[in-house]
Amino acid sequence: MTALRHLLRKPWIGAYAGALAIWLATVAFTEGQGGGGVLTAALSFATFSVLVAIGQMYVITLGPGNVDLSIPATMTLAGAVSMKVMDGNNAMIVPGLAIALGCGAGVGVFNYGLIRLLRIPPIIATLSSSFLFLSAAISYSRGLRIKPPPLLADFTTWIVWGVPVLAVAGMVLTFVMSVILHRTIFGRTVTAIGQNARAARLAGLPVDRVRFATYVMCGMFAGLTGYLVSGFSGGAALNMGAEYLLASIAVVVIGGTSVAGGFANLPGLWGAAMLLFLLVTMLNTYGFGAGIRMVLTGVIIIAVIAVASGRRPSG
Amino acid sequence: MNTIVHRAILATGFILAATASQADTSDKRIALSNNYAGNSWRQAMLKSWDKVTRKAVEDKIVAAADAFTTAENQVTEQAAQIQNMILQGYNAIVVNAASPDALNGAVKEACDAGIVVVSFDGIVTEPCAWRIAVDFKQMGKDEVLYLAKKMPEGGNLLEIRGLAGVFVDDEISKGIHEGVAENPQFKIVGSVHGDWAQDVAQKAVAGVLPSLPEIKAVVTQGGDGYGAAQAFKAANRPTPLIIMGNRQDELAWWKEQKDANGYETMSVSIAPGVSTLAFWVAQQILDGKDVPKDLTVPFLRIDQDTLEANLETTEKGGVANTEYSLEDAQKVIGGM
Repeated sequence: MTALRHLLRKPWIGAYAGALAIWLATVAFTEGQGGGGVLTAALSFATFSVLVAIGQMYVITLGPGNVDLSIPATMTLAGAVSMKVMDGNNAMIVPGLAIALGCGAGVGVFNYGLIRLLRIPPIIATLSSSFLFLSAAISYSRGLRIKPPPLLADFTTWIVWGVPVLAVAGMVLTFVMSVILHRTIFGRTVTAIGQNARAARLAGLPVDRVRFATYVMCGMFAGLTGYLVSGFSGGAALNMGAEYLLASIAVVVIGGTSVAGGFANLPGLWGAAMLLFLLVTMLNTYGFGAGIRMVLTGVIIIAVIAVASGRRPSG
Repeated sequence: MNTIVHRAILATGFILAATASQADTSDKRIALSNNYAGNSWRQAMLKSWDKVTRKAVEDKIVAAADAFTTAENQVTEQAAQIQNMILQGYNAIVVNAASPDALNGAVKEACDAGIVVVSFDGIVTEPCAWRIAVDFKQMGKDEVLYLAKKMPEGGNLLEIRGLAGVFVDDEISKGIHEGVAENPQFKIVGSVHGDWAQDVAQKAVAGVLPSLPEIKAVVTQGGDGYGAAQAFKAANRPTPLIIMGNRQDELAWWKEQKDANGYETMSVSIAPGVSTLAFWVAQQILDGKDVPKDLTVPFLRIDQDTLEANLETTEKGGVANTEYSLEDAQKVIGGM
């Protein structure tokens, strides 16, 4: 009984409960047909949302005002540059990955330069830098779609017994990032800055260095996701990052991370990402019009956040 | 004999008209006001504009043809852009509008300043402007008519729509539904929004597919066919007939299937080069030609036998395209 009560107090329970309820509602509508297939698809696509959300979550945890709005542009830039460098060549997969991560890191360095050196608030800095990066991606790729190397395409779409391999890799990465958050000095410093930046500074923590590293890391996660999405969907497109801007923030918040910073939660990301995908699938399956779909999406997200935040420990 | 004389007279007339037009608009400046550049179709559109108008400027047909794109796809931004063009003294503004009615104020100001406004693709409703519209509804209907001929026994259809709330999406979808109503052997069993993007379409189809019965064909709006094919493959479902939208990756995939198993479909969309048609129409209006306010552009349709030729001329990763010449524009104006 105490175990159950303990479980119910977890901040991520709302996201998982919501995802489960929506899945059941979908399966009930189709009378059980395709329940497993929907879950496989949800895992595939949730992986991408989770990967960008990990970076976003670390940034948001840094405290009020910290957010990275350049994620879509970073994904597009990293995807476009790495696809063009690889040019469908299997031997170039690893250099391509390094280039995608490098693009992401470069974006992070640039963003933090704007924030720290020019003292521009993160929202403005990352939003304006995203114009630069998207323009760079447009002029570099000239709007063309280059196919990924076949091996990368096979890997990103590889499914074993209904479980996407990429999702398993994503879960391992999530676990690693969770350990880093809770068990390393870096992770604890991120949380400490978010709870009280002044106190963290007075305690002698390297606030600037950790904030810098966090923005660079967020950029690298976006770069990695851009690389993987390009492999998964047959090439980099200029608008491929668009839907990940809101998704990265929504997944973080629904997953039980405090939007005010100082309190992060990694397991919740998966529940939230699954929930968002299943929600769209359910509304598509029910055959609602676009207007009703958008209204219901808003209502359900608000409901889940309201329920989830009700269980959040205070402070 | 008579016909030869006739032709000679006609030809002389054409030459005279052509020379006259060069003389009359050589000092005119035309601007392109474009609201968005963030996808391959729009990139091709701008490239076509650049290619054709650069030549026209070199040939001294017009004095300038500058392209401007707003950063944010916002109505207010584009309205300000048009007002700037009025101040800069352009003789004609060619506009791909962010909204059919929200720019009407700025367009009216331009007309009042004696500027010719030609809208295309994203058209404006302000009566003083010219409209080069696409019969999107017919495009949707054509897809179903093609299917009706191809598979007379009918079957289940999956519909992939575009961006919710956009006029074009509503029109194509209306046409598809009208076609299905006239061909009741077809039934739309699922409808998702793919936002004209392969990855979004792939995601939406992958989600809804497991719960759907056997799909015979997928009706699309362009830029979503390849994503749909990927989703069917990932779900281990037999590949249905997917209508394509002229993107190079779609055509390349079609060719691959055609070579492997004789796969048959068709592809239809609007050539991004429609911007060059708008350019020539603006030039003709400046030249004093009597041009009707509402013009319709033809679709660019690719069929089984024209696939290879089109694939060859389409840039890798781009969109199948046609650029229009002055003669094409005159044909469209003449209603041919």
